[in-house]
Amino acid sequence: MPPGSRRPMVENMKGKLPMRYGTHVALLAAVLFVMPAARAHHAFSAEFDADQPIRLRGTVVKVEFINPHSWIHIEVTGEDGAKEVWQFEGGTPNTLFRRGISDRTLPLGAEVIVEGYRSRDGSLRASGRDITFPDGRKLFLSGSAPPGEGRQE
Amino acid sequence: MSLVRFTVAVAGMCSVALPPIADAQSNVFDEDYVVPRTLYGDPDLQGFWSNAVLTPLERPEDLADKATLTEEEAREYAARRREATNRDRRTDDSDADVANAYNDFWWDSGENVVRTRRTSLIVDPPNGRLPALTPAGRERVASRRLPAVPAGPEDLGLTARCIHFAAAGPPMLPSQYNNNYQLVQTEDHVLIVNEMVHETRIIPLDGRAPLPDEIRLWLGSSRGHWDGDTLVVETTHRNDETSIRGSGKNMRLTERFTRVADDVLLYEFTVDDPENFTQPWTAQIPSVRADGIMYEYACHEGNRGLANILAGARAAERGE
Repeated sequence: MPPGSRRPMVENMKGKLPMRYGTHVALLAAVLFVMPAARAHHAFSAEFDADQPIRLRGTVVKVEFINPHSWIHIEVTGEDGAKEVWQFEGGTPNTLFRRGISDRTLPLGAEVIVEGYRSRDGSLRASGRDITFPDGRKLFLSGSAPPGEGRQE
Repeated sequence: MSLVRFTVAVAGMCSVALPPIADAQSNVFDEDYVVPRTLYGDPDLQGFWSNAVLTPLERPEDLADKATLTEEEAREYAARRREATNRDRRTDDSDADVANAYNDFWWDSGENVVRTRRTSLIVDPPNGRLPALTPAGRERVASRRLPAVPAGPEDLGLTARCIHFAAAGPPMLPSQYNNNYQLVQTEDHVLIVNEMVHETRIIPLDGRAPLPDEIRLWLGSSRGHWDGDTLVVETTHRNDETSIRGSGKNMRLTERFTRVADDVLLYEFTVDDPENFTQPWTAQIPSVRADGIMYEYACHEGNRGLANILAGARAAERGE
């Protein structure tokens, strides 16, 4: 982490994930085996640190639906009242556009909780693994297309 | 032209052996389908097509003896694949969690298997698996491995650098998003735009001579012709930077596009590269009609991930 940087409002979840290696390696291998051949635009493990899971609560101050990855910015207020703006990396916006999501879907000022992993360089960036509203609803619900009703058969 | 006649015609005319069209396929597509025509009288293949499918390129080992699925098996298999690729599922393995990136809503890997219900996109070799690499091919793959810690952008893959996405092709392969392409025809050219990183191919049909051998291109050089109702595109002259599962710059790629239904463009391709593969291999994807429009994928413009990866590598070197 760069000198002087602070992380008072980060709920570091390290330690809550005790089993990094173990029985789940087998499960992971099974999952990888059946994954489509091509992966994301870049390896997330190169950008984000599995040892730095974070959970942040804040308000949306900027949404960038840009390629190859979208970025959602939230302002987080620490216990001492200091504010920080964190950036979270999401996927390509194209899929969202096809599902009817636009830059108007996520209003500025909305309160969200983001779980993800902090960037390896210690900056205020993280992967946006899961983004939920305080009542537990997911920001972008997955699996919205009922099985068998997709355009692909 | 019926599929049977199409098969006979292609088998008789192609220098690269094409495996017979799957038995299952004749049950799936109408053999008497009449392909619509363009103003120029050619088969009309135009429009937006999607390659988003759950079917893997290679046949999974647990289906080694099964080339096609029944309808019920296909439904069960698709459900299993959707579950297996569901990014919302969390485990306590944080490495896997990071690799999954973000939840499933951002992905578009398809919801069903291919309409032919094949268990792999590869139809030849008959086991649905990639053929073995030659010794030279294995050596080439090993020599292309990237350093674990990138010293600079050149140490990152072509995709992370927004230069070339193998999924965009040619050959075009299903990916996890941007699986759409648009095909436009004129009297003497075919144009294919792939949503993945906006790869655009302009394919002449006028029988012009190939490029000089020393000219090498990222996407290779394509020449097309009609073989009955099938558009055949031959691509050569790749540079040495790209690779399709181990292929090299002298790969000869043959793609075939055949309209087999109003909403299906059968896309087949054969990779012939004896320097790197012990035998040619062929894959088949029934591309399905997609709703336009295409969206921009200006990868380089917002590629912050590249800088972030390098910043992370430098921070690690400083021991932070």
